[in-house]
Amino acid sequence: MRTSAKNNHSLLINLKQAQALTVINFKSFPQRFTVSLVSMLSIGCVAAVMLSVLAMSEGMMKTLQRTGLDNTVLVMRAGATSELQSVMFPVEVNILANNSNVIKNKQGEAIVSAEMFVNAEMKYTNDVGDIEIPELSISLALRGISKSTQQFRPNFNLVSGKMFVTGVRQLIIGQAIARRMPELTVGKTITLGGAQWQISGIFSDGNSVFESELWADIGMVQSDYRRGNTIQSIRLALKDINNLPALAKEWQDDPRLNIRVITEKQFFADQASNLTRLIRWIGFPIAIVMALGAMVAALNTMYAAIASRSKEIATHKAIGFSPFAIATSILCEALLIAFVGGLFGILPLYLVFDGWTAATQNASNLSQMMFNFDISLLLAIKAMSLALFIGLIGGLLPALKAMRLPVTEALRD
Amino acid sequence: MKNNNDIILKDINKSYQKGDNTVVVLDHFNLTINSGEFVALMGPSGLGKSTLLHLMGGLDQPTSGEMVIGAQRIDNLKEAQFTKWRAENIGFVFQSHHLLPVLSAQGNVELPLALTPLNKKQRQEHASYALELVGMSDRSKHYPKELSGGQEQRVAIARAIVSDPNILLCDEPTGNLDRKTANEILAILAQLNRDFGKTIVMVTHDNKAAEYATRVINLESYMLEQNKCTVGEN
Ligand SMILES: Nc1ncnc2c1ncn2[C@@H]1O[C@H](COP(=O)(O)OP(=O)(O)O)[C@@H](O)[C@H]1O
Ligand SMILES: [Mg+2]
Repeated sequence: MRTSAKNNHSLLINLKQAQALTVINFKSFPQRFTVSLVSMLSIGCVAAVMLSVLAMSEGMMKTLQRTGLDNTVLVMRAGATSELQSVMFPVEVNILANNSNVIKNKQGEAIVSAEMFVNAEMKYTNDVGDIEIPELSISLALRGISKSTQQFRPNFNLVSGKMFVTGVRQLIIGQAIARRMPELTVGKTITLGGAQWQISGIFSDGNSVFESELWADIGMVQSDYRRGNTIQSIRLALKDINNLPALAKEWQDDPRLNIRVITEKQFFADQASNLTRLIRWIGFPIAIVMALGAMVAALNTMYAAIASRSKEIATHKAIGFSPFAIATSILCEALLIAFVGGLFGILPLYLVFDGWTAATQNASNLSQMMFNFDISLLLAIKAMSLALFIGLIGGLLPALKAMRLPVTEALRD
Repeated sequence: MKNNNDIILKDINKSYQKGDNTVVVLDHFNLTINSGEFVALMGPSGLGKSTLLHLMGGLDQPTSGEMVIGAQRIDNLKEAQFTKWRAENIGFVFQSHHLLPVLSAQGNVELPLALTPLNKKQRQEHASYALELVGMSDRSKHYPKELSGGQEQRVAIARAIVSDPNILLCDEPTGNLDRKTANEILAILAQLNRDFGKTIVMVTHDNKAAEYATRVINLESYMLEQNKCTVGEN
């Protein structure tokens, strides 16, 4: 039974050894499951926080990225970072509309959309059956739109009901709101800033942020919110969007105007990056601090694991397993803990919260915006990578310790 | 056995640093064990018997001196070479069996074969044969906790011989066993020595071991004797 191995100590053989030891470690893992639970849970929490942050910013990003057109120019008061902050006067609209670069219709009228944008306090009663439920109140974005606005919303579509009638307090609501508040049905009356409004229809707009808005006739909004004939933003289309920089310069130099010009696409992209930056600024530090904690937990678990198994490790060395193989098997165990922990954190989110609609409250002056928790496989993999990274770092020192474990001391009974 | 597995220790020094103190365990120690011997090393605790065994098996390195096993210098091997050399040439049996609880007897015995190029089927065959040699064929599927102390030690011996090393190093292999079981283990070792030509060095406190070994070394008097010689030479 001479089996003398003529094996040169190549990486392959080392890996084969590591595999044999890892299989053994995994076999005994169920016994150490409870001991490893703290590490697994803390790693799971990190993965969950990480995934939430990513899913949130991803969801917002997608919603905002679906909003705005490349060839639409958005004009606001200079210095305004959002439509809410902007005020513009009809004279300004005229100056802009008369520019030769702006597309005109057959009648020679410029195609411009003057819009109002206010934060409306909405109150409504939720009459389910006979149960008396107190009035609910929520802050929503109310947009006053004009005749030509729809030309700037190619994805606009009424999903139920009709368009509001001009001159009365009627409005249409975005389907993101309707989905979140199913009690808001066509025909229902709600209170906005003290006045009664009737919901005439529900609209969709390609899952853009507009679906989180209430749209009404601009004249009604102006009078209800005592804005006279001022508006907040103007959208217009250029014959050639490449002229925008030159045009912006021209308007900048016009002493009658004091405005900010930006493509609608760019405006919402900026909003998206501001918002996701905000979320990440808050979320990532939390994730990092938690990750450090989880790393310490993993480190502890693995140190304890090798301490309790020092004889076993020494035996493996005495049998002739390479220190590399032993260290690798310890690392693999740390990775297993991290993987199981990562699943603890990721799976519930993945199964329960994917597609779950959340809302921001006035974040970045965007008013209430509804977006989906977007947990893609890619994000889950990212969160899992973080979990595995924690396991790897947490397992590294213990693995080195196992590698250097003095065999003779461990074997002395 | 025509291949040379002589163990030659020449002028070995081994000391441990304990804080500021240096504990000298082996002092100009010389010993030759010839191929095919079954040596019982006896002596009081703390004398350095385990240290000696660990040195022979390459688990530890001498502070100075020369070790030749099978015509090969082993004292200057690097750790990776040592590990490989050990896997191919040495089988260890300890007082505690150190079997893995999650593996069956068969699995435990197969473990060292993970270090060889044998395939799964060959590994199973070799392990079965090793278990047969120690009389444990019928228990191959049992887990360590389902075995008695003597049976566990038999499995440990099977594990030590499965990759067919020429040298078996045993550190008080019967230390935890009752008389009858101890005799059985000693008989197995003697058989491995006699029928398979294994060179065996066994540390033991068991006087009965002398009946099985081909040579008994009382380490305490052996060391005294050596020191006298050394002094005489100077
Ligand atoms: N790692 C170590 N550090 C310091 N002293 C040690 C170490 N290992 C062994 N010794 C000492 O070496 C001596 C011999 O130990 P050992 O070989 O285990 O003796 P034996 O096996 O004969 O009982 C003892 O005095 C012991 O305390
Ligand atoms: Mg000892």
